[in-house]
Amino acid sequence: MTDYKISAKDVQVYYGDNHAIKDVNVDIEDKTVTAFIGPSGCGKSTFLRCLNRMNDTIDICRVQGDILLDGEDIYDPAVDPVQLRAKVGMVFQKPNPFPKSIYDNVAYGPKIHGLARTKAELDEIVEKSLRKAALWTEAKDRLHSPGTGLSGGQQQRLCIARAIATSPEVLLMDEPCSALDPIATAQVEELIDELRQSYSVVIVTHSMQQAARVSQKTAFFHLGNLVEFGETDKIFTNPEDPRTESYISGRIG
Amino acid sequence: MTDTPKFTSLKVQDPHTKNRNAAEKRFRSYGIIALAIGGLFLAALTFTILKSGLPAFTQYVMKLDVTLSQEQFDDAESQLLKTAVYRDIFVDNFAAQLDAQGVDVAYDAAALERMLGKVGGDIRAHYRENPNDIGVPTTFQLQLSSRVEGYFRGRVTRDTLVDSRFLEKADLDVVDVLRDAGLMTGRFNWAFLTGTDSGVDNPGGAGIGASVIGSFFMMLVVLFLSLPIGVAASIYLEEFAPKNRFTDLVEVNISNLAAVPSIVFGILGLSVFIQFMHLPQSAPLVGGLVLTLMTLPTIIISTRASLKSVPPSIRDAALGIGASKMQSVFHHVLPLAMPGILTGTIIGLAQALGETAPLLLIGMVGFVAREFPDGVAAGFLDPNSAMPAQIYTWAARADVGFYEKAWGGIIVLLVFLLLMNAIAIFLRKKFERRW
Ligand SMILES: Nc1ncnc2c1ncn2[C@@H]1O[C@H](COP(=O)(O)OP(=O)(O)O)[C@@H](O)[C@H]1O
Ligand SMILES: [Mg+2]
Repeated sequence: MTDYKISAKDVQVYYGDNHAIKDVNVDIEDKTVTAFIGPSGCGKSTFLRCLNRMNDTIDICRVQGDILLDGEDIYDPAVDPVQLRAKVGMVFQKPNPFPKSIYDNVAYGPKIHGLARTKAELDEIVEKSLRKAALWTEAKDRLHSPGTGLSGGQQQRLCIARAIATSPEVLLMDEPCSALDPIATAQVEELIDELRQSYSVVIVTHSMQQAARVSQKTAFFHLGNLVEFGETDKIFTNPEDPRTESYISGRIG
Repeated sequence: MTDTPKFTSLKVQDPHTKNRNAAEKRFRSYGIIALAIGGLFLAALTFTILKSGLPAFTQYVMKLDVTLSQEQFDDAESQLLKTAVYRDIFVDNFAAQLDAQGVDVAYDAAALERMLGKVGGDIRAHYRENPNDIGVPTTFQLQLSSRVEGYFRGRVTRDTLVDSRFLEKADLDVVDVLRDAGLMTGRFNWAFLTGTDSGVDNPGGAGIGASVIGSFFMMLVVLFLSLPIGVAASIYLEEFAPKNRFTDLVEVNISNLAAVPSIVFGILGLSVFIQFMHLPQSAPLVGGLVLTLMTLPTIIISTRASLKSVPPSIRDAALGIGASKMQSVFHHVLPLAMPGILTGTIIGLAQALGETAPLLLIGMVGFVAREFPDGVAAGFLDPNSAMPAQIYTWAARADVGFYEKAWGGIIVLLVFLLLMNAIAIFLRKKFERRW
């Protein structure tokens, strides 16, 4: 059971009276890209946000069930969500760089977590993260100009660099390409494939082609239920559930 | 049935478009008319304030060189009626100067006293304070009495003047001669800016300086209490507090407090700070506390609004990489909200600076501002007034001379308000992120 990076058992999420996630069981492997697909409003983002307890910030949101990270329950009262989020990083749907310089954006995480003791170490982390996020060549000459001055695709890669600068073990991405053009999307997808070498990546996407291209495992959500979860190839070529089939053939969604 | 659409030229406006354009034009002219009316009111107000208030910044004086020898000084000091001796010395010098300038005019000592007040006392006071001036020619600039000043300003004319022990028609002839000889002139009234309030019979000597200092110490109290308390309360309510009935109640009450008439805060200050806590009456500290209560809701409301206007995605971004709630607020949200917070604070302070009613209730009335505080502690604790209360006191006095002092005080107050607004704009520009 500890082979899995994250395992979720009987997870229920309520927004007030709205039962948004029903009985979800899912196991996420290390060094794998797992895609969450499903029609809009089916609870993909909600479930993703359970994995780093970002739902804690929503007052009316209640989570039940167990979510284990390396075998430890992340909803245990002893767990500090801030510490958890340093391990489980997140990239959001809309690029949201801080209104600071590119350098400061990437350096912020390592700074608050005390990952660098000297300026040189910090510089190194920033360079490594920007390189991994495939932004180094574009950004190295303008590290001290504002991150918000970058193009949409560059901003999203900056956010990815910022997320990996804290050396997380899991990277959650909520529709990271929905605001990007096809070229930027291709760059980010390539990047996700690279990131798989070091991290467990969970990506929410509304594009089935994207799920097919980048992921090894796919989970299909429908109306708050996890309908089907398995090898991406199998889900797309030979789904078991009729709802999955009609979604990927374009009949629901 | 419908046939092919008829050709319509774009160069001819259809009735619909015509109506729409006419409506737009009408609306624009309403706007311009509204602006013009506003501008007109502003111009009228500025004109009135300047016209009535600027005279307060000039003062009419008589310039006279006086030389007093050591023997004269010793002699005068040994007399019983000392000021009378000094007056006679003054009259001698005055006569000498008139002779020297070839001015020929009939006057007597009583007329001089009517024009200049009790000059003997002024002169004695000067030499007692500046013994070094004894024996050397000294130029005195003696302030003219309020009625003569009125004559210079056109408030008093020969037609309206009724002979009295204060001024006689004949005196005006003397004044005319002295003015033409350059002995009586106007000058910038520094004393108005640096002086203190005077007695009810001496509008010429009244200055706003002491109450400016009073206002300054009050604003210090308001700034150093309401900014940290207001910002801390807003951050807690906006970012940390659970959203429940209790916080809703707090929120509603803060909005209501912002609308409470200031005089209510005055009564509260009187009963709590002075009667219950026994803080000194008329002290700028108490005034500052009362104004803090009044300013807090304004600061809290504007701070919360500027915190709300920071996009939530910034908070998510910070939390998403493992920043704590407090780090996300202090590193990211607060800097972005800063321009709004500072603007709100300064507007709150400006409001407090112009507030009169609560100050009157806690005894910071104009006539209290009779001397400057010596030292910082005294600045907070010694009885003083504040600019608006001083203006109110002057406006309520019978002597018309105080009327222009009140207007002059308004000019000083407005200058401070404009200054504060300029600072607000400057800070907003400075802290505003350019990206
Ligand atoms: N902050 C929120 N407050 C209340 N309800 C929410 C909130 N976020 C999402 N929901 C509800 O939860 C359900 C799932 O939403 P979401 O997870 O955003 O779906 P998806 O990402 O798959 O489009 C929807 O019915 C939505 O209305
Ligand atoms: Mg979503």
